[in-house]
Amino acid sequence: MAQNKQGSETVASAEKGKMTLFRDDRQEDLGAILFSVLIVAIIVVLTMK
Amino acid sequence: MNEQGLIDKLPRERFIEKLPRALPGLLLIVATTVAIRLWVEPWMANAVVFEQKGWLVKVTHLNYILLGIIMGMAYRNVIFGGKLPAVFADGFRLSRLFIKTGIILLGSLYTVQAIVKLGAMAIFLIGGFVILSIVMVLWLGKVFRMERSMTGVMANACSICGVSAAVATAPAVEAKPAHVAYAIATILGFGILTMFISPFLGHALGLNDLQYGAWVGTGILNSGQVLAACLAFNPNVAPGTAVSVGEIWNIMRVISIPFAVFIVTVWYWAGHDNPQRQQKTLTALLVEKFPVFVLGFLGMVLLTSIGAFGDVGIKGGPPASATIKMIRDWMQWIFGIGLVGLGGYIDLKELSQAGGAPFKVGILVGVTKYVLALIVVLVIRDYLIEI
Repeated sequence: MAQNKQGSETVASAEKGKMTLFRDDRQEDLGAILFSVLIVAIIVVLTMK
Repeated sequence: MNEQGLIDKLPRERFIEKLPRALPGLLLIVATTVAIRLWVEPWMANAVVFEQKGWLVKVTHLNYILLGIIMGMAYRNVIFGGKLPAVFADGFRLSRLFIKTGIILLGSLYTVQAIVKLGAMAIFLIGGFVILSIVMVLWLGKVFRMERSMTGVMANACSICGVSAAVATAPAVEAKPAHVAYAIATILGFGILTMFISPFLGHALGLNDLQYGAWVGTGILNSGQVLAACLAFNPNVAPGTAVSVGEIWNIMRVISIPFAVFIVTVWYWAGHDNPQRQQKTLTALLVEKFPVFVLGFLGMVLLTSIGAFGDVGIKGGPPASATIKMIRDWMQWIFGIGLVGLGGYIDLKELSQAGGAPFKVGILVGVTKYVLALIVVLVIRDYLIEI
């Protein structure tokens, strides 16, 4: 049955925890914000005259 | 205590503790992206097929984005025989982190003025399509005699953005895991199809980036699939390109998740035996379900608008600054990595399990929305606002 399948972007998405390394969506969102800040900071330093 | 209760009581492993386990999978994804962008794509652009240089790119429209997704799908479905090995699985679980990070960085393509200019039209069109899809699913759910929980989940899966909306709606309408699973399988199965055919259709119909981005951003449901369809049409990341248009429309839809959950919840409990049980207010849903990465995107828009990264490179204005150019270059790599990972999460066997009434409803609504979005964009093409 579909509900027994785990670990894909398709059926198992019902089990959110399986799709992300984070605890939940909110944590993943915050992780993405922090990752973006880090990337922008690196780029700003690299392109600083 | 049930099994889930016991699991909840176990100490949770922190992200940072899991990260080392993700490195092998992440390395595989990064190596695949590097190989595609540095070797496969240039080879395809120069290869002579049917006595024509670059035939593979001109005719198939395959670029690093579609190649990455295909390679990710091949890892899971062909090379690893239907399941990602444990050693690589955690790395693939980082794919959405990369996609969300890329979308936040996309904020550097816009200014506040551009968002305000586009906002009214996008809200009007996206809002119209969200409401139309919800109403259509609720009606078809009745016609096909679907369970109300299943109908509620399908309504938001079809109207907003597949996975996140289905999962966000499930607890509010007492949906079973199977309801969510079928809704997601149907929606993403349809989305994968549209992700591959949209670039061909867009080129065949002679759409420009603005028209194509508006169509795909409205007609395709899943954020990752909108991104892939836009970059497959035009891999450039700059103001006015397909991805800059498609993603702003997509973000407008993602923001509507809490509102759509509220509407469907009200509908569900209005027809329930015990309507008093509906607890959550719109405010509570906004706090709980709002996709906060959108705030990161808005932060980038604000920083770009005040000139924190230099000139943006808008058509007719001064060229983009070195910082902006590097952000765009890195964005392409980040999206490439995220979408190889997304491909690895597409299980073709699981997609084939979608069926029955939810499948019929999903396909009917999906096709209607996809075709109607194209018609609307073609009708209003002269009024679409360029950013």
